[in-house]
Parts: sequence; C-alpha cells; structure tokens
Amino acid sequence: MNPRGLRRYIDDLLADRRPAAFRPDDFEAAQIRTAIDLQAATPGAGAPRPEFLADLHRQLADQLDDASPKPSARPSATRRQVIVGTSAAAAAAVAAVSVDRLVMRGENHTGDDGDLAPNAGSWQRVAASSDVPDGAMHPFDLGSVIGFVRRVDGKPEAVSGVCSHQGCRLWFDGPDDRLRCPCHSTSFAPTGQVLTHQLPIAPKPLPALQVREVNGVIEVLAPQPDQPT
Amino acid sequence: MTAQSDPARPRPLRVVGGDRYANWEAVYQDNATWVYRTIFARVGNRADAEDLTAEVFLAALRPLRLTASIGEVRGYLRATARTVLAAHWRATLGHEITSIDDIEAPPEHEEAVSTAPQRVAELLDALPDQYRRILELRFLQSRSIKESAADMRVSIANAKVLQHRALRLAAQVNDAARFNDAAHINDEDKP
Repeated sequence: MNPRGLRRYIDDLLADRRPAAFRPDDFEAAQIRTAIDLQAATPGAGAPRPEFLADLHRQLADQLDDASPKPSARPSATRRQVIVGTSAAAAAAVAAVSVDRLVMRGENHTGDDGDLAPNAGSWQRVAASSDVPDGAMHPFDLGSVIGFVRRVDGKPEAVSGVCSHQGCRLWFDGPDDRLRCPCHSTSFAPTGQVLTHQLPIAPKPLPALQVREVNGVIEVLAPQPDQPT
Repeated sequence: MTAQSDPARPRPLRVVGGDRYANWEAVYQDNATWVYRTIFARVGNRADAEDLTAEVFLAALRPLRLTASIGEVRGYLRATARTVLAAHWRATLGHEITSIDDIEAPPEHEEAVSTAPQRVAELLDALPDQYRRILELRFLQSRSIKESAADMRVSIANAKVLQHRALRLAAQVNDAARFNDAAHINDEDKP
C-alpha cells in the first residue's frame, strides 16, 4: 500500500501534470484505472494539441528523411526513454513482420499458383540448355529476380529463390532435394510447395516464374535490370 | 515478345491499389489523432499521451511497408500502441492499469478509441449523490478542490475526504468482478 503515491498520482492526473511512478497495490491500481476513465470521459479531453502534432511531424521528418539508418542519437533522451524506445522498436519489428504476412496473404487472393510476372519485363537468359540436365536445380540471379530453374519431363520450370516469409535467399539442398531458408528453417519442394516450417502461419509457396527455352537457351521473363542495356 | 503483349500474363509483380498510403506523411496525418486519443483514454493525462504517441510513430513508421493496405497499417499502429502502452505501465506502476485490446471494430472508430464515456456514465449512476457530485466536479468539470467544496457547501477538508472515498467506491464498482471479495470495502469508509 502506498497512499501517498496514490494521492500524488491522482492529484497529478487532475492537474494534468505528468504523474510520478510508484508501486501501487491492486486496489490502488484499480483507483488509478477509474481516475483515468474519469479523465478520459471529460468532455473535450483527448484531442491532441496542434502544436504537438506539428512537433512530432517535424521529429518524424528528421528521423525518416535521414537516409543513413543510424541509431537515433537524441542527445536529450534519458536512459528510460532509450530503453522504452528500444523495446518499442523491437515490438514494432515484430508487428511489421505480421503485417508482412498479411500482405502476402492479400496478394494471393487471386487463388492462382502465385505466378510472378513483371509489368515491364523481357525474356532474359538464365542458363544454356545444356546447363540444366534432368534432375538438376540450376540457380540464377538476374539482379531483379533470383530463382532456380530445372526440367520437368524435359520442360523447363522456374521458381523464385526468395523465401516467401521474410525474403531471405534460399539455397538448394541437393541430397534432400529441397530449397532451404537459412532464416527460419523453412523448406520448399523444387516445385515451390512448402515442405516444412516452424512459423505460426505457414508461408506461401514460392511463386513460379515464366520460363521458356529458345535456341539452346533457357530464359525467364523478368523485369529489366536497372542499367540500360 | 514483350510482357505487355502477352495475353496469358499472370498477375503483375506490383499491385498499387487505391487503398494504400502514398508516403509516411499520409500515414501520420491520417492516423495521429486516433492513436493519440486511444492512448489518452488509457493514461488520462496529456504529457504521457504525447510521449507515448510519439513513441508509437517513431517506432512504427520506419519499418512500415507502404504496400500494406490502409486497414493493415491501422492494425499495425494499434498493435504498436498496445506494446508501447504495456511497456509504459511496466516501467511506471508495475501494473497493467489499462490496455489496448483486440477488438472487432476498426481502430479509428470511437468504440475502439475509447468506451470511457459510456462506462463512466454507468459508473456515476451507481454512486451516492455526494460521491457522484465530487467526481463530476473534480474530473469531468476540472474544478479545483476549493471550487468543488464551495459548490457542494462543504469544507475543503471534507471535499478531499469525499473525493478520496468516492474514488475508492467507484473503483470497487468499476472493478466489481475483480474486487467482489469485499476485501477492501468499508475498511476506510467508517465514520
């Protein structure tokens, strides 16, 4: 019990001062909860000050328009702010991952096999026909697209070589005949289907890439590289 | 053969729909107010609400993917606010006084921002007149203890005691489920 801490906390709330931390017991915590409800029910309370919104806008612009992603070195930050800020950033990273997953699910609403094709692309060479014998998994990296090409009944097929979870680059585990993600132990069949994962939500299968074989060359339809050709 | 002329072309790599934010500033402008109000309703004072709102946006905007839909961005901001608020209570009082719960309603809707006005109205109805009056004066009308005492025709000392007891009883009513063992009831309300 800490009646003085409670009284001071309530007084601070009522005076709209920053309340001081203390260690309340359960019943004191309940009184604080009720006092906060009462404050929140005050007509007109709860609207942000325009000056606050403008200040925060400036602060965000400073942080986000700074191209180099150096750790935020606010000289005025107290130790507690830094610690709390860090944990919030960590939490945000987790939240960002879940948004990531939502986005990926959303993109697959078409219900197709998740084929990837660029808006503005061209057929680009990924291997000579002779480089891709039956049963081989041939990696390629076009800059814009990373993937693997192989033959199925003599016809070339290609899948993306980027994990559908968080974008880590996959490697081909030949003995096990599967693509493995180094980040979260996810593995995919050469067709792109998920074989194993340890994630709360199964990642999507790997998108297939459009591929063709012309004049002894295997080509994938991919966006143009950044440099003019 | 170009991609554009290929009729069998599956879905394109980039989908840019109308329900996305153009940049981080659009995210901020559209969401700052409800994020602040959501937090204010759970901390009850401006200083903490401003600090925590700043923390939410400073933490959330950099890793944010603008390819997410507006609904997903709002869900993400609410999730970030939930984490920031929980950390605040751990750091200051060691109790999770309030929380930002999972709800059906979109985060920017009033029922998601705060249900305090409805709950307080019910709460005040359940209190004896004098207790309701002192809480209305002090909290809802932001009157000083002196003004409240004058209004209620009691001494300042009495007004303080009334406020103290009213808040205790209100907390018991409010947290009835949690405090229904009556452990705290009446232990200080004796004459």
